[in-house]
Amino acid sequence: MEVAILFLLTVGLMLIGVPIAVALGFSSTLFLLVLSDTSLASVAQSFFQAMDGHYTLLAIPFFILASAFMSTGGVARRIIRFSIACVGHFPGGLAIAGVFACMLFAALSGSSPATVVAIGSIVIAGMRQVGYTKDFAAGVIANAGTLGILIPPSIVMVVYASATDTSVGRMFLAGVIPGILAGVMLMVTIYVMAIVKKLPRGEWRGWGEVAASGRDAAWGLFLIVIILGGIYGGIFTPTEAAAVAAVYAFLIANFVYADMGPLKTAEDRPNLPLWRKPLALVTVFFHKDTKDTMFEAGKLTITLMFIIANALILKHVLTDEQIPQRIATAMLDAGLGPVMFLVIVNVILLIGGQFMEPSGLLVIVAPLVFPIAIELGIDPIHLGIIMVVNMEIGMITPPVGLNLFVTSGVAGMSMMAVVRAALPFLAVLFVFLILVTYVPILSTWLPTMMMGPEIVIR
Amino acid sequence: QCDDGEIVIKFSHVTNADNHPKGIAASLLQTRVNEEMNGTACMEVYPNSTLYDDDQVLEAMLQGDVQFAAPSLSKFEQFTKVFRIFDLPFMFKNIEAVDAFQASEAGQAMKESMVRRGVLGLEFWHNGMKQLSANKPLIEPADAQGLKFRVQPSEVLKAQFEALGASPQPMAFSEVYGALQTGVVDGQENTWSNVYGQKFFEVQDGTTETNHGALDYLVVVSTDWWDGLDAGVRDQLATILNEVTTERNAAVAEVDAQARQAILDAGGEIRELTTEQRQMWVDAMLPVWDQFIDDVGQENVDAAQALNANF
Amino acid sequence: MAKTPPPDSALGRFVNEFEETCIALILGAMTLITFVNVVLRYGFNTGLIWGLEATSFLFAWLVLFGVSYCVKVTAHLGVDAVTGALPPAWQRGMALAAAAICIAYAALLMKGAWDYWANFANLPQTTGRWFPTGLEEMGRTSYRAWYEVIDIPFPEWLRWIEPLMNEGEHYEKLPRFIPYAILPIGVALLLFRFCQAAWRIWTGHSRSMIVSHEAEDAVEDVAHMNREG
Ligand code: NA
Ligand code: NA
Repeated sequence: MEVAILFLLTVGLMLIGVPIAVALGFSSTLFLLVLSDTSLASVAQSFFQAMDGHYTLLAIPFFILASAFMSTGGVARRIIRFSIACVGHFPGGLAIAGVFACMLFAALSGSSPATVVAIGSIVIAGMRQVGYTKDFAAGVIANAGTLGILIPPSIVMVVYASATDTSVGRMFLAGVIPGILAGVMLMVTIYVMAIVKKLPRGEWRGWGEVAASGRDAAWGLFLIVIILGGIYGGIFTPTEAAAVAAVYAFLIANFVYADMGPLKTAEDRPNLPLWRKPLALVTVFFHKDTKDTMFEAGKLTITLMFIIANALILKHVLTDEQIPQRIATAMLDAGLGPVMFLVIVNVILLIGGQFMEPSGLLVIVAPLVFPIAIELGIDPIHLGIIMVVNMEIGMITPPVGLNLFVTSGVAGMSMMAVVRAALPFLAVLFVFLILVTYVPILSTWLPTMMMGPEIVIR
Repeated sequence: QCDDGEIVIKFSHVTNADNHPKGIAASLLQTRVNEEMNGTACMEVYPNSTLYDDDQVLEAMLQGDVQFAAPSLSKFEQFTKVFRIFDLPFMFKNIEAVDAFQASEAGQAMKESMVRRGVLGLEFWHNGMKQLSANKPLIEPADAQGLKFRVQPSEVLKAQFEALGASPQPMAFSEVYGALQTGVVDGQENTWSNVYGQKFFEVQDGTTETNHGALDYLVVVSTDWWDGLDAGVRDQLATILNEVTTERNAAVAEVDAQARQAILDAGGEIRELTTEQRQMWVDAMLPVWDQFIDDVGQENVDAAQALNANF
Repeated sequence: MAKTPPPDSALGRFVNEFEETCIALILGAMTLITFVNVVLRYGFNTGLIWGLEATSFLFAWLVLFGVSYCVKVTAHLGVDAVTGALPPAWQRGMALAAAAICIAYAALLMKGAWDYWANFANLPQTTGRWFPTGLEEMGRTSYRAWYEVIDIPFPEWLRWIEPLMNEGEHYEKLPRFIPYAILPIGVALLLFRFCQAAWRIWTGHSRSMIVSHEAEDAVEDVAHMNREG
């Protein structure tokens, strides 16, 4: 019962406008002080260890940084051009291209809101110009942006892997097929809507444009090869892959596209090639764009990690009170089967996703349900993908929906308007959630193919 | 859950509770304490690093937030250097020699080596002798040359691999399986039960039976907490712990052999060394001793070598 | 991208620049160390053995140093769906209540941070469970400045602290009180910024402790492309 009070207190604090991180940390600290003999010093230790003791979580700042360099440095813009060249001529073409661009950017970025900002800020305006309603445009991008955490790399997968000691590499592979499937489902939905509603289509500019835009975007898209190739080719660990991605994105943004940094010129003139200004190799480190991008990425990391660190304090409470064992015993004694269990997990996550930022929620829920899942013979990787898809849905449902949040900013609409706009496509994601939940092979086939069956060590 | 008035003894460790030698011993200790000391004391075991990992747990113990811990001996580097003797390659012939050394006067004295740092060792728990594995056959020391081995953070282990001409790589334990599989690192060293438990054998070419070092744990408490217990409680706790230790340490050879067999059954490759081949490994690694002789004490090395003769 | 409220004094601008530069530099250092280690291992079969530990500490420094900055610029995430629907007087009341909770949180964490760090620096912890009621009497085990980190070597230019902190004994590795010092420092800054934020709400200069949808400016520079009129 204490646990119920703990959760109610946390949610209550959030609702009166306490920052999520503080709501988690404050209620957990109260509980530790009242219920256990744990000291405040150990709360501080938990806080510090959130960063110092969870090596896997280091991937978060690195992926955020890579993403920041790619949006500022012109990668997103080129990906959009390529997407339009490929699918822009279908009915509803620009919307479909928006989804396709979100999928491609998702393969470079670990975060959903970052995907919305990078793609949405350009595509939504473009869609309005050719005659789509703002609602439709915002709804498409808010939904497609959630693929940022399903298509690898993914910050949420990193958090799940860290919380449950599963392999990040496997999680990344597991997201590939569901990610493509979800993208295709969204595109097909748009296609059908476009035919029914007679939505505008672009014109086919020929294979030349596909090739030209593809070449232009290739430097950015090559990052997919670097990340996945490097991890599965044994050059670096997933955490290190994130750092390599950040360095690569920095180089591309500053020296190849030069849409930022010392080689950038005024809007209408082509950026300088490096050989014209080799000193840029040095000055780039002191350039304002570099500092600003790093600082913005740092700031985002801090707000995210503040939530995760406090969620870990809450997890400390649950562990200390041996709640996971008690819940596991209760659920297993109730004779729960895998099917019912997964329904319950989905419901918990969908409700939790209304109030919580995804990474923080995962830190708390994963240790609660993971032992039961293992007991019931559910594949840990499959469970992870289910959780990620739930988090996607949480991102486009109020009151806490990070994607709604950034979409409303990007599109200049109120939150509630974005919620209404996102609703039809949300239905698609729900169907997709059911599919992913009850067809485990969608998630497990690729990792099993590439890395052998997942081994449960516990 | 503990009742009111009982002394709460939190025991945090990093392995599973039912398969790993340490986890089994901890679970047995928990059962016995909670049965035999019911009403007086109550032990809560937190396995799988759910509460603390091996490094944090010692901080938490000094802080008074956890009472029992059993880190591996190489985790005490910050407290004392004497345990480096167990990491030194080919110091002990087998686990029986390790056991005899720990029971000797020299070994018993080591349990008190950290008292000035506020930590008291109660009992040594065995895991077993370490073996070497890599993504290519390791028959002679030259085979390890140029390979990257994952090591625990320990000066001795780094020096050991450098002596082989290999490159020691620090790496978070949770990343090791994936890193071995993809080839980020080439090899690792561990006991049979860890090689089996972590499934390392599946992503390695084979495991070479070198028995080159010991992987043991020390059950520790903080001196402040231990000295503050009633003498009667302390004695009863020590007695139960001692009996559990004797029982589980005696069984560890069998757990080890089972793990070894299980690896074979699962299709894992195990390479045994001839006497000559083994001697080559000894010759390659022995120079490492000189670097650490001041840390571990010549008299302790002599004691260990004298005991080796009995096995 | 995001614009911080322009600091109104030279000192304010300096502090702001200092905070932003530190955040950028720490993140840059983490990235570089990790990247260099990959290059060294893959390319040269070697590596910085302390790289992993140093990066982890820098990560902690980034977050603990930066968390107070994020309070200053109201960047922390929260839920404004309920408060946003209330009349202004209620909003103000709730914002003040939220601010009080934040201050209480930081105060508790401050005691914890001090208590955790103090013994590592041979300083006394505070007594009391909830609130500091005094300073502990230093026992034999309260002196823990000998406690070193795992891999990061002790820098030679710091040798002069050995007589002060370690009874003259030689440090091989960095003592823990150095990386851990960010804990009391960062939490003290956090407490200070929460008090400031509460004052801003009290005086009517700010409306809440959390980033709000209306005020969201992380995307402002692109929003003009979509806004009507
Ligand atoms: Na992604
Ligand atoms: Na939500």
